[in-house]
Amino acid sequence: MSLEKKYNLKSPGVKRLMREARELAEPTEEYFAHPLEDNLFEWHFTVRGPPNTEFEGGFYHGRILLPSQYPMQPPNIILLTVSHHPESWQPSWSIRTALLALIAFMPTPAAGTIGSLDYTPEERQQLAKKSKNWECVVCGKISENLSSKSKSTPKLTKEETTLLQQIALKAEEDTNKKEEPILDKKEGSTNIFQANEVRQRMTNSHSTQNISEALANEYTETEVSLNRSGV
Amino acid sequence: MGDESKNSTEDSTQVNQDELILAQQRQIEKEISESIPLVGELEQISSLNKEYSNDEVYLEKIKDLSSKYKSIRRTRPDGNCFFRAYSFAGLERLLDKKDEFKLFYKQAEESKNVLVSLGFQQFTVEDFYDTYMEVLKRIGDIENVEDAKKTLHYLFNEQGYSDYMVVYLRLLTSGQLQKDQDFYSCFIEGHRSVADFCHQEVEPMYKESDHIHIIAACAALNTGVRVVYMDRGNNKSVTEHDFPEGCTPSVHLLYRPGHYDILYP
Repeated sequence: MSLEKKYNLKSPGVKRLMREARELAEPTEEYFAHPLEDNLFEWHFTVRGPPNTEFEGGFYHGRILLPSQYPMQPPNIILLTVSHHPESWQPSWSIRTALLALIAFMPTPAAGTIGSLDYTPEERQQLAKKSKNWECVVCGKISENLSSKSKSTPKLTKEETTLLQQIALKAEEDTNKKEEPILDKKEGSTNIFQANEVRQRMTNSHSTQNISEALANEYTETEVSLNRSGV
Repeated sequence: MGDESKNSTEDSTQVNQDELILAQQRQIEKEISESIPLVGELEQISSLNKEYSNDEVYLEKIKDLSSKYKSIRRTRPDGNCFFRAYSFAGLERLLDKKDEFKLFYKQAEESKNVLVSLGFQQFTVEDFYDTYMEVLKRIGDIENVEDAKKTLHYLFNEQGYSDYMVVYLRLLTSGQLQKDQDFYSCFIEGHRSVADFCHQEVEPMYKESDHIHIIAACAALNTGVRVVYMDRGNNKSVTEHDFPEGCTPSVHLLYRPGHYDILYP
């Protein structure tokens, strides 16, 4: 069934997602995201590892879950071990904003950041190479999801650039460091992040809650919040 | 090693407590959203009495309030109440004044370009702007004033539309603050820029409004508001404050600590 028939097109949230789907329909060099055929509220995305970092050459794939009150409530961006959940989310941000923030944040050298895997840069580079051949059941070979032509990437607006400079992904590093078993998961997952168990969580939840949630979770999922620095 | 296991026990207690708090918070939010409409029906001022049946200070003030106002319309206390109440009451009043409505509509039409020129993202501003204009158009097109008011009330209780109206007013308020940032920066506490303040306190949903939000919203919509303060202070009457000072207010709001409702003279 087509999305048009399945959803109430009068609902502003649905209209918004259709619009975002149209905006993001063309893959860019850095990111691509699309809703699943049968569910407008679940998307898959691929982002390219930023150049001049140990993520260079890698492709990172994950899911985005949109709450029914989107965009009033933030999207959940899920990589294998990490759920990015913008903490001070604003309805005027979009999936594109969230993906750009994710890419911008990848090289940030904080403990327990992307993937929350404490890999060495060398290991990351290895994993980045391997990721080229990884296939998603829905999207196919993820390295082919992105465009190779730079012209298709929309220019960042001034506001977006400022915004992205202000956003920081706040990692709950303390929890992660305690978690030894994460190393067991290395095998088989490479650094392609595929969605694991996902839990619904509160919007505007605070980092302390995130820490304890992460601790409670068997999957050693680590919560990272998209946050503005200095908040 | 022993320490570690001790830690993990403490952590798990912590988890349970946090989850309990979260669950309780969700429960409260759910109860509020089920029991209080986003924008309620008209009620008599005396309906406030039952909330304060044993509270002499408040009862005295409600008496004073009812000498000045006929009725009250409650709004849901979700952090958006000022924006929702102000936006609703402003539009409701404009429906009685066709000429002013037309003028307001024209300003609203141009507001998107103003925001975009201030650096707001076209893509998302458009999303809220379109819904905002759709609501204005829908109520403006209805000949019969009472029918138009009913539609307005209906739309403000449709979560999708209602929240979009709130977001757009938040954006307009943010735009106003940033446009006149030299002026507003004096009122911002801490070492925050006006832009930071807007991103943290104005644009996100559910963030409560302070005087600075009200002043900027009034300037953005060019609609004065009288806020009537009712709290447990010692004086026997309610306190009134007009934004901007000296204006003839078009919208009247009742403020009780933490919450705004709409008043009707």
